[in-house]
This record gives sequence, structure tokens and C-alpha cells, in this order.
Amino acid sequence: MSEKAQIRVDEKLVREIASLARLDLTDDETKMFVSQFKDILDYVSVLNEVDTDNVAPAYLSSSNKNMPREDRVEESVPTEEFLANAPQSKDDYVLIPRVHVEQ
Amino acid sequence: MKLHELSLQETHEQLSSRKISSAELTRAYLERVQRIDPQVKSYVTVSEDLALEQARQADERIKSGDGLTTLTGIPYSAKDSLSTRGVNTTCSSKILENYKPFYDSTAITNLNLAGSVLLGKNNMDEFGMGSSTENSGFFTTRNPWNFDRVPGGSSGGSAAAVAAGLAPFALGEDTGGSVRMPASFCGVTGLKTTYGRVSRYGLIPLVSSFDTIGPMARSAYDVSLVLEAIAGHDPKDGTSRVESVQNYSESLKKAENLRGLRIGIPKEYFVEGLDKEVDASVRAAIKQIESLGAEVMEVSLPHTQYAIPVYYLILFAEASSNLAKYDGVRFGLSERTTGDLMDVYLKTRETGFGAETKRRIMLGTFALSAGYYDAYYLKAQKVRALIRQDFQKAFETCDALITPVAPTTAFRIGEKISNPLDMYLSDVFVVAINLAGIPALSVPCGFSNGLPIGMQVMGPHLSEETLLRIGHLYQSQTDWHTKHPPCW
Repeated sequence: MSEKAQIRVDEKLVREIASLARLDLTDDETKMFVSQFKDILDYVSVLNEVDTDNVAPAYLSSSNKNMPREDRVEESVPTEEFLANAPQSKDDYVLIPRVHVEQ
Repeated sequence: MKLHELSLQETHEQLSSRKISSAELTRAYLERVQRIDPQVKSYVTVSEDLALEQARQADERIKSGDGLTTLTGIPYSAKDSLSTRGVNTTCSSKILENYKPFYDSTAITNLNLAGSVLLGKNNMDEFGMGSSTENSGFFTTRNPWNFDRVPGGSSGGSAAAVAAGLAPFALGEDTGGSVRMPASFCGVTGLKTTYGRVSRYGLIPLVSSFDTIGPMARSAYDVSLVLEAIAGHDPKDGTSRVESVQNYSESLKKAENLRGLRIGIPKEYFVEGLDKEVDASVRAAIKQIESLGAEVMEVSLPHTQYAIPVYYLILFAEASSNLAKYDGVRFGLSERTTGDLMDVYLKTRETGFGAETKRRIMLGTFALSAGYYDAYYLKAQKVRALIRQDFQKAFETCDALITPVAPTTAFRIGEKISNPLDMYLSDVFVVAINLAGIPALSVPCGFSNGLPIGMQVMGPHLSEETLLRIGHLYQSQTDWHTKHPPCW
């Protein structure tokens, strides 16, 4: 984990990550995560012991390759059934709040 | 004998000879669920109307004699991460509390084709994140053997339902022990299948490169009957295996002994921290298996100690990506009281996700963020390759490996919930299997203070037949799997 393992975990970092993860954390949650992050990152740093210089990463858990299927036309889900799960809908479309609101 | 005490094979014989009807059987299970589940809390949804309709159809099918399978008319329950058309599928998360999929997962479709009857959906740790079901967004499932103890997780509801006689079998899902650990804690038999053996289509993903669906039942033989019905290639899952599915149950019927089988005992799994009675029970089980003709030898899996940090780093990363879709736009919870779209994202996710889920999303976002990717995620994937090599090497000299499933029996509700790292360590013997994508069977092999102990039998990719044979022959000589909890 090289020099990056010396990462400083503080409230500023936790708030930055929360913003990337789109989580509106409370102050209590932020404080709790600071201490838990330190413990967990400290624990996983044990991987530094392992020499992986000549090891290729294993992204899949078995050797099988992805097998794309043939693209066939099939009946799709009726629109109303799909929209039944939408929080709001209008005229066969999913309705969302304004992307940008003038301040 | 009461209906819920029959094995799957016995139930099938009763149904096909029309001594009982599926409707009668289904009502008997629904009645038990209504009476006993308020204490066990293994179900989040009971699909009574659907169950009675499916039972009616099964009875017609049995009457006509057309296309009868061993599972026709037999009820079951499924972990709430398997999509069920028109039936709430929540992953025990508030963010999906009212979500009704418009399609079935392939495993459920396969059971529909077999003519099985869905009783309902089982409680779990939210999105599969946990080892106790205490992280459910709704309530904690209790261990049927002792209501003060956890059932294990994350498929805790499914294990508890089978153990308490609230379903004759259940579908669980195993990302890092989530079938095996609760099976061990609740005293049932559970199979973590080879990655890709059962289609993941319609399974709500936690870690796409680890997730596997597997049966939980009262014996290895019952597990084999369910596996036959759900396994197989599926064009809808690009990672599903194309190899044909074996006739597992037929092979178990013919099995007489384990002569010629080489069993490895990985020394790294019998270390300090392993409960003495768990150690003794698993060693006694190994002796029993040796007496069936197997050759037992010590082996080494040298990277075992790194499995937990590798597993969790990859889990954090993949889970944070998989959970990005819950944003309050197209389905699920949506907090739309004020502001713009960004406010909807922030408030929906803050309100909808539980503490453990947020913690893992945060850690994953961090591990994948610019500047840290190589140090955490890439490093973990490299060590994962070494852990896989450990298994490959072991399987050059043995056909299967045996270890405990968990270092202890079921712990107390509340015991580990405030210390996430402590909770993660309870998965120490199960996560490496998912890193390698191999199958593993959890088999009841003893008790300590009235709580079940499980042994884990693992093998190379697609060795389910060997694992089930070992489990079945062991169970033909022992009665641990036939014991029932007080609430039975």
C-alpha cells in the first residue's frame, strides 16, 4: 500500500467521500466513521506484507470467461408494470425533480 | 408423522401417490409460519395468495401426471435478494421496502417450472452485508435453537426457516459465507455453489464476482434435489457455466463409501481462536469420514490469513458500485420533499440505507477513488490471485478439503454489532472460498451448549457431486442433521 497507506483519516476526508458516495451523513455518523475507518484501514494494511510484484490481479473468481448471449428480439415489460415502481410518473415517463434549481 | 417432518423425497412420494395434496401441505406450512414465525422472525413477506394458487396448479399437474418433478407441489422460501415477480423483494432494506420486481430471477423461474410453491421471502442482513441478520432494515431473526442468539448471516432468515420447520427447503445466497455460516449456526445443510453454476439473473447483486445462489435444506440429499432443479447455463447471465448439470441425487443413491477419495485438512484453519468444542466436533467428523474409506492428509493454504482483508476490500469496492443505482429516481424509496435532483440522491440514500451499508459504501468509494485504487483495490485483487493459487495447489493432491464453518457457535444478539471489525472476523473460514469461486457444503456435525456446529467441505470448481456425496454418506452414519430445535 506504499506511501498511500499513511493516509490521514479525518472528518474532512470522510465528508469528501460521503459527497462522492451521495450520502448526506449526520455529524454523529461522520465522527463514528472517522474512528471506524482508521481501525479498518489499519487492519487491511496487513496486505502490505505480501509480495505481489509479479502477480496479475484475479478479477473473476473462476477461469470462465464472460459469455455474451445472442441479441434476440423479445417481448418487453409492459410500460405500466415498469412504471408501477417509479416514485412519480407522467405520460409513460419517469418523473424526476429539476436537475438544477435557481438559487 | 407430521407433514413438516417429511424429507423432500418422502413428501414427493406422498404427493405423487396423492396421499396428501399440495394445497394441504402448503396450508400446513402457512399455519406453522403464522404460529411460530412471530418468535423466529424468519420471513419478511409471506406470499400466501400466490402459494395457494401455485399449490392448486401443482395439484392439477399431479392429477394429470404430466411433467411431474420431485419438487412439484413442495413449498419453499427464498432469501429476499432473489427477484420474485409481483412479490416484494426488499433485500431487507428500507430503500426497497415497497419494490415489486416485474420479473423472476432464473432460480425462481426454474422452481416455478418444477412446480414448487413459494411460501414467502426470508429476512437477511441488508443487501447481504452482515453475519447475523442484525443489519436487516426491518428486524433481527432469532436462532431457532436459542432465541437470544443470532441465526448467522446474511441468509439468516432462510436458515432459521428451514431449522424451525417453517419451510422444507430455502434458497439462500452466498457472497462470503452467507449460506454456510447461517446453515452452521442453525444446524441445517447449506451449499455454496460454484461461481456460475446457478444463474445470477434477477439476483440483486452485492459483489458481482462473488455472489452465488445455493440451496439450504435438512440433508445433503435434499440439497441435491434442489440443486438439480436450479442449476444450469442461462443466456441471461454472462458468467453462468455451460457444463451440463449432473444428476446429483441419482449419484448419491448409488454411493456406498468414500474409498479412493483424498481429503485435505488445511492446517491454517485449526488455529488459536477456534472454539475447543467446535475443533473436537469437526475432528470427530473427519475421523468418521476417514472410516468411510477416505484418505486424510494435512495440507497448507499459506495465504489464509489475508483472505478477510482481501475479501472486504473487494466487497467494499464492488458493493459501493452496485449500490449506486439506489438513487430515488426509477424505483424504491425516494425522498422528494425539497430541492433539486442532488437533494433527492443525498436524502434518499441517507434515509434508505442502514449503518453497515453506508459504512461499506463509504469504504468502497474510498478504495476506488483516485489515488487509492492501486493501494487497496488492485492490491487486493493481486492477493486474491495468490489465494486462488493456494486452492489450485491443494487440489492437485486432494479431492476435497474439510474445515470448520465458523470458529464458534452462534453468538449472542448484540454481541458484535457495535464493533464492525469483530463482526467481519467471524467470517474467517468462509470468505476465501468466494475469492476462489469454488463450491463448499456446510454439514451439521455436533452441538455445544445446545447450539449446532457445522463442518465445511470444499472442492474444486464444479465438484458439487463429490461434496454432496461426502455430506450424504456422513449423514447416513450420523444423526446431527435430524435433530430439531425446541420451537420445531
